[in-house]
Amino acid sequence: MMFRHSSNHRSVTTAPWQLVCGLALGIASGLAGCGTGPKAEFSYREATQKLIPVARKAIKDTLEDGFGTPHNLVAWERFPVAYGGAKASVVAAAEGVQPASKTISVSVEGDVSKLASGASVLWLTGTRAGEKAAADTVDTYDTKTKTLTWSGSAEPAPGVGDVLIVGFGHALQKGRAVYMKNCMHCHGVSGDGNGSTAQFLNPRPRDYRLGVFKFTSTLSAEKVSRDDLHRVVKYGIPGTYMPSFLLLGEEETKSVVEYVRWLAMRGEFEKRTDDDLGDFTEDSIVDTVKKSKTAFDAAKVAYDATLKAGDKDAVKPDAPIKLTDARKIATEAFAKFQASDLDQAVEDTASFLAEAWTRADDEASRIAPTVPRVADDAASRERGRLLYMSDKTKCYTCHGLLGKGNGAATEDFWKKPGTEELYPRRGLHDAWGNPLQPRNLTLGQYRGGRRPVDVFRRLYAGIKGTPMPGFGKTALKDEEIWDIVNFVMSLQYQSPQPAKTNAGGHVVATDMPEAK
Amino acid sequence: MGKLWSLFFVFSAVIAVALCWFAPDWNWWFPGDGKAHSTLGGKIDDLFHLILIIVAVTFIGTQAALGYVLWRGATIKPEEKALFSHGSHSLEVIWTIVPSAVLLFIALYQLDVWAQFRIKGAIRDSHGKMVRPEPVAELTARQFEWRIRYPAKGKPLQPQPQPDDIYSVNELHIPSGRPVEVTLRTDDVQHAIFIPELRIKQDAVASLKIPVWFDALENRDYEMLCAELCGWGHYKMKAKVVARSDADFDAWKEQASAEQFDDGFRKPAEAK
Repeated sequence: MMFRHSSNHRSVTTAPWQLVCGLALGIASGLAGCGTGPKAEFSYREATQKLIPVARKAIKDTLEDGFGTPHNLVAWERFPVAYGGAKASVVAAAEGVQPASKTISVSVEGDVSKLASGASVLWLTGTRAGEKAAADTVDTYDTKTKTLTWSGSAEPAPGVGDVLIVGFGHALQKGRAVYMKNCMHCHGVSGDGNGSTAQFLNPRPRDYRLGVFKFTSTLSAEKVSRDDLHRVVKYGIPGTYMPSFLLLGEEETKSVVEYVRWLAMRGEFEKRTDDDLGDFTEDSIVDTVKKSKTAFDAAKVAYDATLKAGDKDAVKPDAPIKLTDARKIATEAFAKFQASDLDQAVEDTASFLAEAWTRADDEASRIAPTVPRVADDAASRERGRLLYMSDKTKCYTCHGLLGKGNGAATEDFWKKPGTEELYPRRGLHDAWGNPLQPRNLTLGQYRGGRRPVDVFRRLYAGIKGTPMPGFGKTALKDEEIWDIVNFVMSLQYQSPQPAKTNAGGHVVATDMPEAK
Repeated sequence: MGKLWSLFFVFSAVIAVALCWFAPDWNWWFPGDGKAHSTLGGKIDDLFHLILIIVAVTFIGTQAALGYVLWRGATIKPEEKALFSHGSHSLEVIWTIVPSAVLLFIALYQLDVWAQFRIKGAIRDSHGKMVRPEPVAELTARQFEWRIRYPAKGKPLQPQPQPDDIYSVNELHIPSGRPVEVTLRTDDVQHAIFIPELRIKQDAVASLKIPVWFDALENRDYEMLCAELCGWGHYKMKAKVVARSDADFDAWKEQASAEQFDDGFRKPAEAK
């Protein structure tokens, strides 16, 4: 069964660490395979590695506390991940609860088989809540009398109505096993898209750590929904190396989707925390020192000049900061930050992510056309073609006049986002910095699905992490989007006379009056 | 030592034969329930058994002879003279003609099955009628999945994609109980379609469209694999054949078509 735990019953003042429940694991045999390979480890972002040692350590500790390691996953309750387990509550009257025997009568929601001996017991409410989860496990469970005996400390005794979860984290562990077997060699242990086979693939496997997935049914500002990931795992992405895992089985698919979401949350959590600590990098220290030196040099020149001019009152400029001093200052500043603000920053990031990922599965985040598909006739396609060529959508600049994905934009040098620096090669790039080919629309290959609604959603909300913009609500009416859908989906079946173009895909004027 | 070797060779043959004898009971034999689930599959199994019997007789005979010769050699008395048979013309003739005859027999005997598997779908029968089964799908193998294209319900499969074509991935739907043709292609490297229970195996070769003819006798799912090592993800090319009655096959097409052409619009009353 799936269990999503809202953190409502926890007081807000609790530090995040106390919401974290360890899920200790032996190294699963599935992980080990033949012989023992290198131990699986979560990697850290480049940005994390560039931080000064104290900041780096703080991030690594935070991540390990909140998410654990591949061999010892930690399920951080406040994230909307279906960690799995069976929820139960204590039903027996006071005399039924015998603290010394550690036996209680429980009513279980969902799969009773999760109550097997050895399964972890996590107390959500009552006197035992907040105890370390790893400490309690199921000793025996009698299906007839519905009594559960736990092993662990006897005190404090649970009361009637206390809620507990048995086998918490079960789904995440299962997801990890499925992931390690099927996904890891491309997407990497940490979901960084850098598995051992990734280097041979074009397009590159998705790096989950931006929390961005391309083909979604959700609005442009929203995350990917569970259904979207489920579809991708089931049907694959044609035109890429993501194959279909149709025969994986429903439970495996569900659990691997949860695991991928969890990896994405872990990755984005790290990224956002890195961003918060942007001032504490080795680079920025070197930069400060350099700036201080430049300022000193300029001041020195001025000072020397005034001295020469005979001004005895000139103030001697202060010596520039030394690198060691700058490091010390940064380390002290970080210690201050860590003492006062880090917990709050982590808390803010966690609640931001928890909310965003919860919202993704809301019905309100899903794009549903307000009108049925406009009849797919010549008139609609023509309207679509005109919109495609219009300046309202500018489809042709990337996808080309004939939809072959060779528009003029593919010949330009583009700026890296947020900088003035240009990418070293021509053409578009995605949020991961990989070169990106606008889709050739004449191939009939639809990466995000070939249902008309899939193409509609691509146009409505764009493709996340790419320059493909969304036109829904603002630029285009739903009817107009349907016209473009009809036009685009007809391109595969047409063989139009190729217009004369030069190498860059720019039109060579064919109908201009001849010069006299 | 010589006696030990002669016993070793005799006993290893006995163990091999015994294992083969009991193998079907231990599910070490043919895949699934051990039966062929296609018309041609039964004939292929018959051929297999025929060849197995021929090989088994030969194997037992040669192992017995080997054992005997080794035993004789080990127990021969020093004063006894060995029989020198090298260069025996009659023996040479016998062991050339007998295996040739056996091989020629197999070559001729299997012709019909081979023709049914590979040729008969493309020729006319004695009434001048094409017996080529109806093409139901175009099966494209790629690294590392199977993508399948079907014509819309009631329409023939066209060589080029049509707007109303239906697509599926890793699930080959076919009507059961009659011969069908599946056009096999590959997008990249060489793959091979292998449906063990239907006894079908055929390579997919780049740039070729290879027709594969087969039938499935029962309405059930059959395992489908790639039988050509096609890269590091070869093991991922697990798929299934879904054989259903004509009515169910058509019903599936209708349902798949409805899903594929879903425009996502729901009337407010219908919306969840």
